[in-house]
Amino acid sequence: MLDWIGDSMVDVAMVGAGQTKFGNHPLGLKGMWAEAIEKAVSSVDHGFQPTDVEEAFIGSIAFGGSQLGNTAALLTEHSGMEGVSVRRVENACASSGFALRDAWMAIKSDQADIVVAGGIEKMNDLSTSRKRYWLGVSGDTEWERLAGLTFPGTYALTARRYFHEFDSTHDDLVHVSVKNHMHGFENQVAHLRKEVSFDKAKSGFMVADPLTLYDCCPTSDGASAVILVADHLAHKFTDTPIWVKGSGAGSDHLALHDRPSLTQLRATQNAALKAYKTAGVTAGDIDLAEVHDCFTIAEVLATEDLGFAGRGLGGRFAREGQGRRNEGSVTINASGGLKSKGHPLGATGTGQAVEIFKQLRHQVEPERQVRDAELGLTHNVGGSGATCAVHIFGRER
Amino acid sequence: MSSQFISNDEGVFLASQYGPHWAGPDGDRLTLAITLLNQVPPGEISLQCFEEYLEFTSSVSLQAVIETATNWKVDEEATTMLHTHSDEFIVGITSSIEPPTYPTFDDVESDNETRNDLRNAWQEEVSGVSQGAYVSQAQHMIASASRLGLRAQSDKDRLVWPPRQLNGAGERIREPTEQLSKLATILTWTRLSAAGAPSEFSGRAPILGGVSTVLVEFEEGPKGVFMLADDESKSPEIDGTVRFEVRRLYGQDGLMHYGLKAVLC
Repeated sequence: MLDWIGDSMVDVAMVGAGQTKFGNHPLGLKGMWAEAIEKAVSSVDHGFQPTDVEEAFIGSIAFGGSQLGNTAALLTEHSGMEGVSVRRVENACASSGFALRDAWMAIKSDQADIVVAGGIEKMNDLSTSRKRYWLGVSGDTEWERLAGLTFPGTYALTARRYFHEFDSTHDDLVHVSVKNHMHGFENQVAHLRKEVSFDKAKSGFMVADPLTLYDCCPTSDGASAVILVADHLAHKFTDTPIWVKGSGAGSDHLALHDRPSLTQLRATQNAALKAYKTAGVTAGDIDLAEVHDCFTIAEVLATEDLGFAGRGLGGRFAREGQGRRNEGSVTINASGGLKSKGHPLGATGTGQAVEIFKQLRHQVEPERQVRDAELGLTHNVGGSGATCAVHIFGRER
Repeated sequence: MSSQFISNDEGVFLASQYGPHWAGPDGDRLTLAITLLNQVPPGEISLQCFEEYLEFTSSVSLQAVIETATNWKVDEEATTMLHTHSDEFIVGITSSIEPPTYPTFDDVESDNETRNDLRNAWQEEVSGVSQGAYVSQAQHMIASASRLGLRAQSDKDRLVWPPRQLNGAGERIREPTEQLSKLATILTWTRLSAAGAPSEFSGRAPILGGVSTVLVEFEEGPKGVFMLADDESKSPEIDGTVRFEVRRLYGQDGLMHYGLKAVLC
């Protein structure tokens, strides 16, 4: 449908990227967003001013006890972008993945040359009950939620079915958890910077059978932002732009029970197909991927739906450690993923892009660097798979 | 374990599997009445001193609940009467307007503390403002035929449940009239800890030790998710079978919302 955009003459470069530390952040919405923008602006090698921005897309569920309506205008007002054309993008946990796609399309369609995409969520200043309320608002309220389901519940349903259909057990999910905690341990901006043993992760508190606490990502505060420009401006801002080579998005039934398969995310599959097509690459070309591991089973499904593992082989992929940094064919969640780096819902998608930007420019902590990384992918899912945005980034245009 | 059913010269009577003193964690006189009505041939029924013995006001009228959850019609002039015991959780169908002599049902031992805790949790939940996802009364009513009666829409060669608006051709899908099976097969299930359960169940889930949900497939094709009821001594299994009963779902803003829950066969 939007193939003409992929074939457009304009290429899109990422010239700056920044984020707050994810976790329990002392600042509120305005302060966190300002910090992310400050870091994104300072990462631009040849100088950049917020007033240069023509369009801004900010992903957020607007979770919690702060500004709900017109959030984006408030945030740009407090980050030096007063007056810019801005809007909030809401697609649950995929909000800023879609903000990134919208920003990419704005440049591709020649409507703007300099665009900011970002996301933000403040989750940890709420009471437990309010937090649980907000955590459930993006699921299918009318049927799933009234049947007792929250997202741990829907992903638990998926995991049990996956074990039933394929040669896989909960141990495979434990491998995902251990790997992502290992990856996130050295990440200065990660929420949970601690390694976990297999035995500890295996014996965690049961949240939603068969998923334990170590299968679930934390709820985090955080903000992230990237600066995109049209190709003719890229070298004005940096000598090492990262090219947004491909973008794809998809959606699916909101409720799990309406989907043809309980163990595949059609939204991911469709988004990946479009992203690979616009980038002109295949799954086998990708060196590192930040995938949406809100629950460990989600990473297993993602490795299949993105084409890194065959159907039903995602569990084995995890078991064999194929996603470990610099060990397998592709590094999965070098940042620690949502499991360790954290999951500030609206900020997660562009947070993934920040990680890829730094990895491809060799700017992460040396011990975290993925060797010879040329192509990176981000995979950002909304809810239990109702929406998904996939992006592909490269050092080469 | 099933509900207790007694038929005598006066009529037919029912108490829950939990005995005449308790209708169970999510049961009440209305859910018992629906269970009873579904066990006998349908007709027209008049409600005798029934609504005043319900602890909470239903979010949908009693007539709507009964007519969508059973094949009975509610009619004040009907000669078949629905009664309920004022003190015990017993319901009966008779042909007399006079209160019947209720039969004696087997008592079942239950933990008084748990019963009281659950009753208090329901009261707190119903009287409170929503701490959970809000489904308006109107939205609840629109879907009541599907929610309480398992009626599916027919769209070309397939049945659609829960209800949808337009199909892929942009045509409006008709109102739900097709009855789904009363049995379904478990495709997967989970048990959420109290901490993992939705906030609207935060009062009851700790008392029950969590909540269980099954995702099932009907033989006609549609799939659905249902909270599990009466699963204190049983665990679900993939490929197992469930039946459905109307139970309390949740309380909100002074009203009790009813819907179907799955019971392991």
